[in-house]
Amino acid sequence: MAAVPQHANPLEEGLSLRRTPDPFALVIFGASGDLTHKKLMPALYALALRRLLPSRFAIVGVARTDGSDDAFRDDMKQAVQQHARDAFRQDVWDELATAMHYVVTDFADEGGESVLAELLTKLDAERQLGGNRVYYCAVPPSAFPTIVEQLGKRRTATGWTRLIVEKPFGHDLESAKALNAMLLEHFSEKEIFRIDHYLGKETVQNMLALRFSNGIFEPIWNRQFIDHVQITVAESIGIEGRAGYYEAAGAIRDIFQNHLLQLLALTAMEPPIDFTAESVRNEKVKVLKSIHTPGPKSVVRGQYGRGFVEGEEVAAYRDEQGVAPDSMTETYVAAKLYVDNWRWADTPFYVRMGKRLARRETTIAIQFKRAPHPPFEETSAEGLRPNVLLVHVQPDEGVSLAIGAKVPGQGMTIRTVHMDFLYGGAFRTAMPEAYERLILDTLLGDGTLFTRADEVEEQWLLVDTIVAAWQRDKPGFPNYAAGTWGPPSADDLLHRDGRSWRRH
Amino acid sequence: MSSAAAAAETWNGEGVRLSEVETAISRLRAATATDGAPPSLRTSVMTHLAWVPQSWVEPARAALAGMAERHPSRAILLFPDPDAGVDRIDASVTLECYAIPGVERQVCSEVIELRLLGKRAKAPASVVEPLLVSDLPVFLRWRGEPPWGLQELDQLVGIVDRLIVDSTEWDDLPYPYRHLAGLFERTAVSDIAWARTSRWRALLASLWPGIADVRTIRVTGTYAQALLLQGWLRSRLGRDDIALEHVEAERLEGIVLDGEPAPFPPGDPPLPSDVLSDELDRFTRDPVYEGAVLAVAE
Repeated sequence: MAAVPQHANPLEEGLSLRRTPDPFALVIFGASGDLTHKKLMPALYALALRRLLPSRFAIVGVARTDGSDDAFRDDMKQAVQQHARDAFRQDVWDELATAMHYVVTDFADEGGESVLAELLTKLDAERQLGGNRVYYCAVPPSAFPTIVEQLGKRRTATGWTRLIVEKPFGHDLESAKALNAMLLEHFSEKEIFRIDHYLGKETVQNMLALRFSNGIFEPIWNRQFIDHVQITVAESIGIEGRAGYYEAAGAIRDIFQNHLLQLLALTAMEPPIDFTAESVRNEKVKVLKSIHTPGPKSVVRGQYGRGFVEGEEVAAYRDEQGVAPDSMTETYVAAKLYVDNWRWADTPFYVRMGKRLARRETTIAIQFKRAPHPPFEETSAEGLRPNVLLVHVQPDEGVSLAIGAKVPGQGMTIRTVHMDFLYGGAFRTAMPEAYERLILDTLLGDGTLFTRADEVEEQWLLVDTIVAAWQRDKPGFPNYAAGTWGPPSADDLLHRDGRSWRRH
Repeated sequence: MSSAAAAAETWNGEGVRLSEVETAISRLRAATATDGAPPSLRTSVMTHLAWVPQSWVEPARAALAGMAERHPSRAILLFPDPDAGVDRIDASVTLECYAIPGVERQVCSEVIELRLLGKRAKAPASVVEPLLVSDLPVFLRWRGEPPWGLQELDQLVGIVDRLIVDSTEWDDLPYPYRHLAGLFERTAVSDIAWARTSRWRALLASLWPGIADVRTIRVTGTYAQALLLQGWLRSRLGRDDIALEHVEAERLEGIVLDGEPAPFPPGDPPLPSDVLSDELDRFTRDPVYEGAVLAVAE
């Protein structure tokens, strides 16, 4: 047998070794907030349970609320027991809890940053963390500048630094540019991880798998075969006590600017040359740059009035606590968008999103053109609709294809039937929460599923033009009842083109 | 994934033709449609064959329990009984249905048990072929030591994409490895004994480069695991002078390298169904395993 060279490790070949992150210290600003309780700590617990964290790490919660290490651990234990997707295991928790610390500070306070810096230096020495830092800004945008500036000034001499930023990434193009400039003053783009949790969802990533791992779809994924695309992001819930945020944001900033445009970009993008962060994000930016600015007649906005959701009478938006009685904030947006490029020219993308709609549903429907000449009598095929490839992002995660099939019996009657692929049916393993994937990717330094600065700015450019047009008129709000599918004008948007929203 | 308990409907027949089995499956599936709702989804990612001699019936059923839920499949269990005194096929078909959380419809998998009596046990491929799910991979789990050179094995290997054995179940090791190596060019092979060394191999790999000069490996575990670990080190390090000391145990409990105990791998050892489940996720040949087998079979 031939001797192997000493520099390579021949024993690693064939082992399904997972990439494990380097040792790190994760600092969560806003550790007493909802996001930390409901998403971040359950996600960290899930990663620990699956042994996806390295053997050496530290988690430091930072908040203004008084507390101690032990109180923080108790609080987070309850959060995990209440919100984690896995059964609670004391041994896993014990490992996690010993790595957890708490710092009471407001970075606006003099010396607050020094307390944190001293603790991190101590943990670095004790746990050999190599100076690696992840800073998670789970705080309101107004708190960003102070935190980012202080962190930027106190970078470690060794190791890597990564900064996770939660949306909103600004309020308009100008503020987004200012935010990006402020972040880039202290961190490089590769160190900034802007979270849009939609991109962490398995089914959203499945759109890439569906398109680029199946030879049958991509050849027909264009204007020649696709009649139009419908993207729906519907919620049945209201604003859930977030009037302060929602009054300023509205549906267009809450959903359209980020989640919806990301879904559109993944649907319309060209195949990336590889699945690296830059390749994928380059293609998404090209789509965003190609979106034709819609005219006023191509955008519909709405606001819900009283109505019924799941049999329960619910209040109008203007009657929600904290909402102005004459509020003109939109809770619904529908739009007809065009992606002006060779693949999609003249193919409309109808998008709609809103609160208090008939049900919770996020779907991408690719409607293909009709068969050019069905050789059946007109009546025999009257139950036949065009083929639709429907990607269910949530709920009922999966993909279905509507096809025409012969009804058994005499004659030739055609009806539309569905071929279903249900994620839960084919892969009987629980799907990870979006935050698990996104936190792990950050620890590994993979920015593929995060939003780049130029993506954010392109999104805001589109939103700003739409909002600017809205300043010129004042629609009669409310214009749809809670529990319905939005204002009648949204139906007209498609009827004018001889189309209709997909039936549910 | 948590799910509602499986609901099962069963059909039994003696002296059946395979068309009757297919008809029974269709009827059971149609019966899941109620009140005008569509029938439960049939979802399959593979056909899972198991050749189960009499002495392995209970362990085979135990390992299969819950497998359909994790790997929706058509499972075909073949129970050969060549000395039955009659020539016929007895069959039972069970439709196991699982609720999917948050979804109104349920997913169903088929479990087909075929008792191959008398001469009907001699040509199992001809029994199985009509029942394979088209265009999906076929995995064959062979309990006990395969009858090397006999047509039952030869036929089934010819129609499957992967053969899964557990060499811990074999006598007279390492000689059977020579026969197994003869199948490597015909089908991909998984060995549960090898899969159970995975955690330890990852740990030993982390000892590189110090481990490159190891002279003796002492393994407390099954003999199959000990041989495969020795073969792995020999083939990967390119050395045939690594000696083996074996301490018999039912499971892999410890490894000592040149008198130095290797640290214990983190985590709990996987459950039997977890090990089999992992092997059902593999689709290609494992050249590292093949190298380990060849290193101890020669």
